[in-house]
Amino acid sequence: MITLEVYYLLMAVATVLSTVATYFAVIERDLVKAAIFSALQSSFYALIFYLLMAPDIFLTYVPVSVGLYTALVLILIKKTERYEGE
Amino acid sequence: MEIIHVLFNITVLALIVNTGLSLYGVFARPSLVKKIIALSIFSDTINLIVVLIGFRHAEPNPVPPILISVPPTKEDIITFMQKAVDPVPQALVLTAIVIGLAVTLYLMFLTIQIYRIYGTTDVRKIAKLKG
Repeated sequence: MITLEVYYLLMAVATVLSTVATYFAVIERDLVKAAIFSALQSSFYALIFYLLMAPDIFLTYVPVSVGLYTALVLILIKKTERYEGE
Repeated sequence: MEIIHVLFNITVLALIVNTGLSLYGVFARPSLVKKIIALSIFSDTINLIVVLIGFRHAEPNPVPPILISVPPTKEDIITFMQKAVDPVPQALVLTAIVIGLAVTLYLMFLTIQIYRIYGTTDVRKIAKLKG
């Protein structure tokens, strides 16, 4: 039996880890690594959506924001520059 | 009850920090691709805050806003009123995620066209160009 404290603990841990992932996604100069950190942050957000009792948003958010969006950013980086601020 | 309040406050504070970090990425980083990544993080954070507003505390646990049996019985409706979270922010966020994907695609095509014309995605170099 999972108590209610575990839900809130998972929510807090996931948001703090997503803050770390956001920091590295914004700071990182290699844009491929930034896209991967952005996908990591989206994974934590998907977990939080599930814990906030929104399973339909969870099912939409995982393929759109973790899969499709990361693939589009990688295609964009392939067509333009890989490193920012030369 | 106290530990739940502390953990919920940590959640809200971390989301506000995420908003600030992504706004820094949009305004201060030079690369257009990095701006697009930070803008998507910003919109996702706002969506998450909207869903978090519709969340509510219920004992022993909140349930998703879904009615299983059609037509619903009286007990189903009583359980829905006592435990279910607010469904309206979830419907709005579901629309906003798809619209955000379309806007991001438009910005990506603009970035590719800028790279084809000017040969760079650095906004400091683009601002110095003439014509």
